[in-house]
Amino acid sequence: MNSTTIPTTLLYFNPSPAASTESSSKRQAHNPRHVQLKLDKRQNGRNFLSKSIKCTQNRGIRNPTALASCLEATEAPPSKAAELVADKLKRLVLEFRSLAEPIDRVKRLLHYAARLPPYNESTRKPESRVPGCSTQVWVEAEMDELGRMRFRADSDSEISKGFCSCLIWMLDGAEAAEVLEVKTRDLEDVNVGVYGKVNSRVNTWHNVLLAMQRKTQALVVEREGKRPLEALPSLLASANEVSG
Amino acid sequence: MMMTMEGVAVKLPSYSFPIIRSPARCVTRNFRPFSISASTLKEGHPAAPSAPPASLSLGHLTRPDFPILHQEVNGSRLVYLDNAATSQKPTAVIGALQNYYESYNSNVHRGIHYLSARATEEYELARKKVSNFINASDSREIVFTRNATEAINLVAYTWGLQNIKPDDEILLTVAEHHSAIVPWQLVAQKTGAVLKFVELNGDEIPDVDNLKDMLSRKTKLVVVHHVSNVLGSVLPIKDIVLCAHDVGAKVLVDACQSVPHMVVDVQNLNADFLVASSHKMCGPTGVGFLYGKSDLLSAMPPFLGGGEMISDVFLDHSTYAEPPSRFEAGTPAIGEAIGLGAAIDYLSGLGMQKIHDYEIFLAKYLYDSLSSVPNIHIYGPAPSNHVTRAALCSFNIDNIHPTDLATYLDQQHGVAIRSGHHCAQPLHRHLGVSASARASLHFYNTVEDIDDFIQALNDTVSFFNSFK
Ligand SMILES: Cc1ncc(COP(=O)(O)O)c(C=O)c1O
Repeated sequence: MNSTTIPTTLLYFNPSPAASTESSSKRQAHNPRHVQLKLDKRQNGRNFLSKSIKCTQNRGIRNPTALASCLEATEAPPSKAAELVADKLKRLVLEFRSLAEPIDRVKRLLHYAARLPPYNESTRKPESRVPGCSTQVWVEAEMDELGRMRFRADSDSEISKGFCSCLIWMLDGAEAAEVLEVKTRDLEDVNVGVYGKVNSRVNTWHNVLLAMQRKTQALVVEREGKRPLEALPSLLASANEVSG
Repeated sequence: MMMTMEGVAVKLPSYSFPIIRSPARCVTRNFRPFSISASTLKEGHPAAPSAPPASLSLGHLTRPDFPILHQEVNGSRLVYLDNAATSQKPTAVIGALQNYYESYNSNVHRGIHYLSARATEEYELARKKVSNFINASDSREIVFTRNATEAINLVAYTWGLQNIKPDDEILLTVAEHHSAIVPWQLVAQKTGAVLKFVELNGDEIPDVDNLKDMLSRKTKLVVVHHVSNVLGSVLPIKDIVLCAHDVGAKVLVDACQSVPHMVVDVQNLNADFLVASSHKMCGPTGVGFLYGKSDLLSAMPPFLGGGEMISDVFLDHSTYAEPPSRFEAGTPAIGEAIGLGAAIDYLSGLGMQKIHDYEIFLAKYLYDSLSSVPNIHIYGPAPSNHVTRAALCSFNIDNIHPTDLATYLDQQHGVAIRSGHHCAQPLHRHLGVSASARASLHFYNTVEDIDDFIQALNDTVSFFNSFK
């Protein structure tokens, strides 16, 4: 089997202009069929925002959020950021739902895994480990000065990297409130490798999303000058699960 | 050193060995590959006319008893190789559960009416069946629990907290399942006892010589698995018990992976405590058991408080019932215990020795087949004339995550294997990996299951390598 059988992808990762040319050319080489669609106004707006966040980019977090969807490229762009995450979620679900064969969903994830920004081995810190995954997944979160969430992730599994890549595409650059609004059940339709409902110990979507939300929540609390919640991680997780 | 399973004549059969002639059901047919009955049994395997004629294997004979196996998953024939996690249930067990709920569902030990009397009788009969199955000297030595984990916790919280003192030692191996480690960590925290872990020897087997060296008068308890759920190795329990008793230590045997697959005789092993789970031995989930020598059980305080476990309740105190009731607070899993009894009837009907012999053959076939896959590392001992492996293999393939392997095997090939640390993180750390893939068999698996798995695995590896 070979990667050229991957059906046309709907989501495109368009490295933001600030990303280093070296890594973007590497990515082009890795995916020769990667075609960049024309950005609509919304993506331009998003890129504009991401360009203004120099400090985080300097620290190595790039914004892979600019994308164009064949499905939605012609729609009028909503202006509010809150709608962006919801839109992306919809697009993600649509994209994976359009792939009837499980194998195609796996291939699509591997395709996105290859687009996950490289992560330094030395940053695979125990503190960043996402609990409860059957693979090792690391997630880091930061909040920029505009209150937008920046995420980085890595995994020792290619499929998990694919999950991370999609979640980062969806949530990187979003406001904390948007990140916290996503419900794990919304990801149920993107079922790859796991069946049915999300509340399983092995569900990487679920665990990574919860980890991102937990870190976001902690950063929000920190920013508001409150003492961070001193709960066991599992208690936080179950609280989220109930609301999710 | 390790080597044989007590009470079992261990000999490694050749590949022609598993020709099982079951007087009741045997039909003389080619064993493998099939040239007959293609519609039900061949399942995609081309017939090789040169194959020697033989009887059907135990796997082929018993597959029809397991309705769940006859389905397609993701467009392929289901190949279920996750039996160490849980086994499938034969129609006899499903029928026993249905019969209980349809004909005599009632609470036990409480009502004097007909249904309750019948439920009580069947529930206690199930206890008797467990007792006979592991050759306990009295069925009162069998306590029904929710699973093996609860059985271990029961011992930890009752016998452990009562008998283990500061600086006492609890000896375990690094290959224990989390459910046999964590309860003792809690006991150690509460009592000030010390946990000591036996490591693996060069053959990737828990080092029994080392275990014996580590025994001392300080050792109060030895907690060991019988068969490892990751390494597939078998520990010489009888020998370990002998040495442990010499220093006055008790032995708790985690028999989760042995009781479903071989003859286990608690009197022969002379274990003090032994635990297993119904769901791994073709029985329902929700029930397991603790075997404990009667003198030990009788001296142990209760675990949970509630109905059933008391003799008299006053407002300020209660007097406790005798074992096993003392440890069975509240309404037990009645139907499930009865289902476990039916599973034992089914297993005994096939014969545990026969099951074991066939599984030894499968184990070797699996190990040899897997060894042919490039860049693979299989954990645990290599099978040889003096080392018998259980019918399971945990492995890794260079540069592909086991979960990715398992995902693709499932989605593309309908092959169910497990990936992760199999609740044995200390062992995986010891092996220098964070996870592994595991294919684990039971007697209803066949050579064709293994062949399909290996073919699917090779395809999976080339799929991921094509992405590199
Ligand atoms: C060796 C071993 N011990 C203990 C257990 C725990 O069994 P249960 O989860 O049924 O309590 C298992 C099951 O995974 C096992 O394989």
